Amino acid sequence: MNKDPNKGYIALLGWSLNAVEAAETFDRRYVVVAPDWAEEYCEKHNIPYLSWNFERLNDRSMEIAETLKEMGVDIAIPLYEETVEWAGAINSVLLDNPRLYGQSLLLRDKALMKRRAQLGGIRVGIFEEAHDKEDVVRFLKRVNQTLLKLDGDPNDPIHLKAFDKAGCLGHRVIRTPDEVDSIPDEEFPVLMESHLDGWEFAVEAWIHNGKIVFLNISEYVTLGYSVFVPASPELEKYRPQIRAQIEKLIKAFDIEFGLIHPEYFVTSDGEMYFGEVAYRPPGFKVFELLERVYGFNAYQASMLVFDPKATAEEVQAFFPREIEDADGYAGCFGVYPRRRVVSQLVIPEEVEDNPYFESHELTPPLEETVTKRTAFGTHWGLVYFRGDDAQKMHETLKAQEELDYYI
Amino acid sequence: MSDDLMAGLLQKLDAATLQLARAPDFSKPARLQPVVDLARRVLQQPGGCAAIEERAEALEEAGVFEGSDWAQPAILVPSLSGQSLRGSDATLLVIEALSELRMLAVAKSRYQHPSLSAVAAKHFLTQVLALNLPILFGSTGESERETQGRLALIPSLLLQHLAARIGFEHIIDELINEIWRILQQRPIQVDPVKQMITQISLCQANPEIDLGSSGQGANRLVSALFGPTQACHEDPGVEVYQQRLESMDTAALQYEATGFARAMHDTGLVSPYHAVLLKQVAQHGDQLLAEALGLSATGRDCLLCFHELVHSIIDNCLFPETAQGIYGLALTLERGIFYQPPVAPALWRQLGLELAPWSQARLSAAFGDAVPHRARLMEGVLCMLGLPLGVGQGNNPTCQSARALSMWSYNDPDYLLQMVTWAARDDEIVMHFEGKPISSRESLSGVAQTLPLDLDPVSLLVVPHLDRIYAEMGRHCIGRDGDPHQWINPEFHGWWTGRGFRINVDVGTGHLHELESFYRHFYAHYHPSYNGNQPVIHPQPAGIAVTDSAARFIGWHAITIIRATVDPQGTTRVYFFNPNNDSGQDWGNGVKVSTAGHGERFGESSLAFAEFASRLYIFHYDPLEHGALADVSEQELNDVISMVENSWGASRRPEPGIQAALSN
Repeated sequence: MNKDPNKGYIALLGWSLNAVEAAETFDRRYVVVAPDWAEEYCEKHNIPYLSWNFERLNDRSMEIAETLKEMGVDIAIPLYEETVEWAGAINSVLLDNPRLYGQSLLLRDKALMKRRAQLGGIRVGIFEEAHDKEDVVRFLKRVNQTLLKLDGDPNDPIHLKAFDKAGCLGHRVIRTPDEVDSIPDEEFPVLMESHLDGWEFAVEAWIHNGKIVFLNISEYVTLGYSVFVPASPELEKYRPQIRAQIEKLIKAFDIEFGLIHPEYFVTSDGEMYFGEVAYRPPGFKVFELLERVYGFNAYQASMLVFDPKATAEEVQAFFPREIEDADGYAGCFGVYPRRRVVSQLVIPEEVEDNPYFESHELTPPLEETVTKRTAFGTHWGLVYFRGDDAQKMHETLKAQEELDYYI
Repeated sequence: MSDDLMAGLLQKLDAATLQLARAPDFSKPARLQPVVDLARRVLQQPGGCAAIEERAEALEEAGVFEGSDWAQPAILVPSLSGQSLRGSDATLLVIEALSELRMLAVAKSRYQHPSLSAVAAKHFLTQVLALNLPILFGSTGESERETQGRLALIPSLLLQHLAARIGFEHIIDELINEIWRILQQRPIQVDPVKQMITQISLCQANPEIDLGSSGQGANRLVSALFGPTQACHEDPGVEVYQQRLESMDTAALQYEATGFARAMHDTGLVSPYHAVLLKQVAQHGDQLLAEALGLSATGRDCLLCFHELVHSIIDNCLFPETAQGIYGLALTLERGIFYQPPVAPALWRQLGLELAPWSQARLSAAFGDAVPHRARLMEGVLCMLGLPLGVGQGNNPTCQSARALSMWSYNDPDYLLQMVTWAARDDEIVMHFEGKPISSRESLSGVAQTLPLDLDPVSLLVVPHLDRIYAEMGRHCIGRDGDPHQWINPEFHGWWTGRGFRINVDVGTGHLHELESFYRHFYAHYHPSYNGNQPVIHPQPAGIAVTDSAARFIGWHAITIIRATVDPQGTTRVYFFNPNNDSGQDWGNGVKVSTAGHGERFGESSLAFAEFASRLYIFHYDPLEHGALADVSEQELNDVISMVENSWGASRRPEPGIQAALSN
């Protein structure tokens, strides 16, 4: 696509084929900043590329910021959790705004982020950092004491999460002190949270000039397995409250632009609890899902709201109307093998025959023995669905949990 | 539901195509897979090919063929299409299908292709059709079933669509030869053949189709179905024909009767008019009836002895919709099996059988409700009794069950009738395995993943039960050393299956095992020159390593050895029953299974003894009837072993290193 030199010049931090495809077909100049393994591919396909290995920030961090500045790049967009603080550091140089770096650190550390949210008047569950197993046992006991449980009553679970990893990576549920022994030492320190019974959902909010320009609610069918957009009418009826929560969040974190991806619980009495927020595209390919139902490319949407040269009119014109312009529901399901030994990938016939089933990204198994899942683990690939009815979508996604894709 | 599915699929396919079209070159490969997957599912639906044909131009422009040979249609070779269409690679198969539907859009001038003319496209497709007639006929072999599973729907739907759109006149002569070849095997299921003949007759009747000199050989086929006799040659419809019959005298009826009988015995096909005639002549006495059934002295005797039973069958079960049962009845009478004491009473039971709701639902799903389900089932029973070697397994991996049905019909017809009764009336069959009862209700799963519908009425009801029992017997053998067939076959098929068992493959390693003694035993038990010229008494189950036309191993397959004898040309041959739908197969390296011309009876396949031996891997024998090992010449033995090692045994030779180690 022809590039408009009057519009922003964008650096994408991290490798994502879908993001590159979106950039290639968008009217803004771009450069992919990615580790050197991407170099050959980019050269072969004439993709603008700058080699960088994203490790922890170090003395050379300034170097990449200055290189990009010399190239005339206006803004850096993080594509993955690991590149969020890099984007903060780089953008603080590019935009001459040191606060952006501090903000990115807040968004990278789950414990800090919760404190900040709490300070901003947002409800969160009970949480604490754990440095070793004893901390976990103590927290588990205390949470359950608070809940007035007697010895022998089944415990309410607690959740353990790595401070700085995306989504479900490193996420464990602990119910008894015995289970604590199964946590390897190298996973510490972790964040511990009390379990909230309620409806968990996520939000993708595009922010421009400190205002929400598009807000999507992603409904989880089962956390870690399945999500669909837009949310069902039952959840969408909370939209005004959710919007108010996001505005609080924007204020608490002082976010001027970009895409945020927070997670919430809504309890049965309609109370919202903040879970966490990420400053990057969501996992589970919610971007793809949005494109299926709204027709706009969510990566391009992010480039637009990050671009300091984008005008309010352009932004306004880009986004569709929330809910009204969605022509159906799109969902995806993360497949985990259910058997201990698998030899092949077989799409179940009931899936093949389901009009909602669209496509999948599964690959045949490389190894026959399935590694036992300790934490929530990583799914083996996504299966996409699309259809006109939220209830049917919900049922379809739920039904996938009982199917074997790998046999 | 299927409309829903199709609409949903097409919407998604269009969206995926659009994404592919918009994608920059570097991300096209990633965007291609969803298009291929969705196209595959569309192609598996009725009407899918037409939907893809409409989208052919958009698909090509989006880039589905980019970077492959298919991007240059002018260089494509028709003879290579068969490889893709019969292969197991779903992507390859779908791309091939998309390419051919693209050709079709070009041939029909709905798509102006930059590098392909309409004439060239049409010529290409004609050749593809002619080259893939077996797929068009729906007579898919073991090879396709093993490798393609559900995918096998696509090539057959595709070719039917191409044939309908391109026109049958281009392929008609090849079709006719193919039809005769299949009919010579006298299959029970003749619907695919009837459809083809119907297509041919529609072409012949259509003034817009210029068949030129082609299609001459179709006259007998078309007339056998639509107008076998003087009084119905112009296909007047059964009501008009009924009226004409009512005004005929005995001589005229006699003339009609012989006409029908000749057509039926010539082709194995029965015209619906035949049923009308049969009901009419049944009122005029058995002489005319015997004429109309084309009976010999044996059949006539049988008819006279069992007059009432035959009349009841005709009255209650034989209608224009179930006319094929007439042929079954005629051949059953000819076999003389009514004289076996239990058979006639069992058929009386069959006539009054109450079908279980599940059986009725199955028959209704497969055949509709135009005639009573009991009549439909009787048609199937008569055909199976009359044509024991005409049983086919359809497009299902249930060769064991089809073989068992055929064997019972051939060898133990009242047992078959008992099985049909249990399945149809009780929806349950109980067989015993080593003294333990096995119920088809309690056994969960069979070999087939889904309930097959592409079967004759008897198989439709009985096979699901047999399949589950067979699988359950297999589960009982888990943990035993050696091939489970040695225990299952005698229990499953019948007492006459020899308890002696030989296999030439080591089950643990998959390597060839003791070939020489295997063959010396086989010759000693079956070859007339080595077994004292003793004909095979009971049909015996045997296992075949099926190979494709390049002699590559495809899979293990169940057959029945019927006879071993010298053919009219003086070659000793094994005559066997293959439960697949078309037995005329090329197994590579010159091993071509013959179905006619070498002394075969209807439904038999044959191979020269050594050729047969070279594909054999399991056989049974009576261990008490031991004889000396056959003194087969080194030359013949080596020939057989070399045929094994150059075909399915190529990758199964024991590793020389192991042998050496053992001999130390």
